[in-house]
Amino acid sequence: MNYQHALKQDASLLWSYWFNMIALVAVCGSLVVAFYWQIAFNELPCPLCQLQRVGLILAGIGFMLNLRFGPSAVHYAIILASAMGGAAASMRQVLLHIMPGDTGYGTALFGLHFYTWGLISFIVMMIFCAVMLCIDRNNMKAAATTAMASLTAVIIYFFFALTAANVVSSVMVCKFGACPDNPTEYVWKF
Amino acid sequence: MIMMLPFLTAVLSIWFSLRGQRTASIGTWVVTFVIFLAWMKYHMTDSLNISL
Repeated sequence: MNYQHALKQDASLLWSYWFNMIALVAVCGSLVVAFYWQIAFNELPCPLCQLQRVGLILAGIGFMLNLRFGPSAVHYAIILASAMGGAAASMRQVLLHIMPGDTGYGTALFGLHFYTWGLISFIVMMIFCAVMLCIDRNNMKAAATTAMASLTAVIIYFFFALTAANVVSSVMVCKFGACPDNPTEYVWKF
Repeated sequence: MIMMLPFLTAVLSIWFSLRGQRTASIGTWVVTFVIFLAWMKYHMTDSLNISL
């Protein structure tokens, strides 16, 4: 059965779709906020910040696969592995700035630095997977689908554009070599 | 370490998903994850100035 058709008939599948949609929108929102701070306040991402962006995008791919092909244990495994990797990068940066008197890297948002928000986000993703694996326990049959709902298409194309923008941003900050530990200006300007 | 590489392979993964190619999308996700782990080893393995 086509995934879009099954969505109309199964309530738990519909819940699963919307929860995964909200999660992917949250990932996109996080990437937008990171870009806003980078462009508006000229706060360039450090190597660990960029690794956390990669972790966010990797987890976002898991949410996207659930939206595109229907829920699957493989997709939730993708989210879990990505969240663990991202949490490791965030935790590393938290520990780098944990000493008393250290003002941290970059500015704070609602009292917490971005890497702390990142750690919280990755932990929430792990909890999300635990809950969704219960909700989707009878829906684990990802199907090859040919059609996408227009809302699904819009959010996935937006996610695609944000990830592509990160390719450009990382080239501008690091070029094609190792990134500076504390970047203060773009090494490549167009 | 080329920082744009994992972003580039992630773009490919999303593109394959948009095209409806699930296996290719998961395959490129795996490639991205391996690069991510390698870059983590490069950037995250020097000692911290704390005692845990």
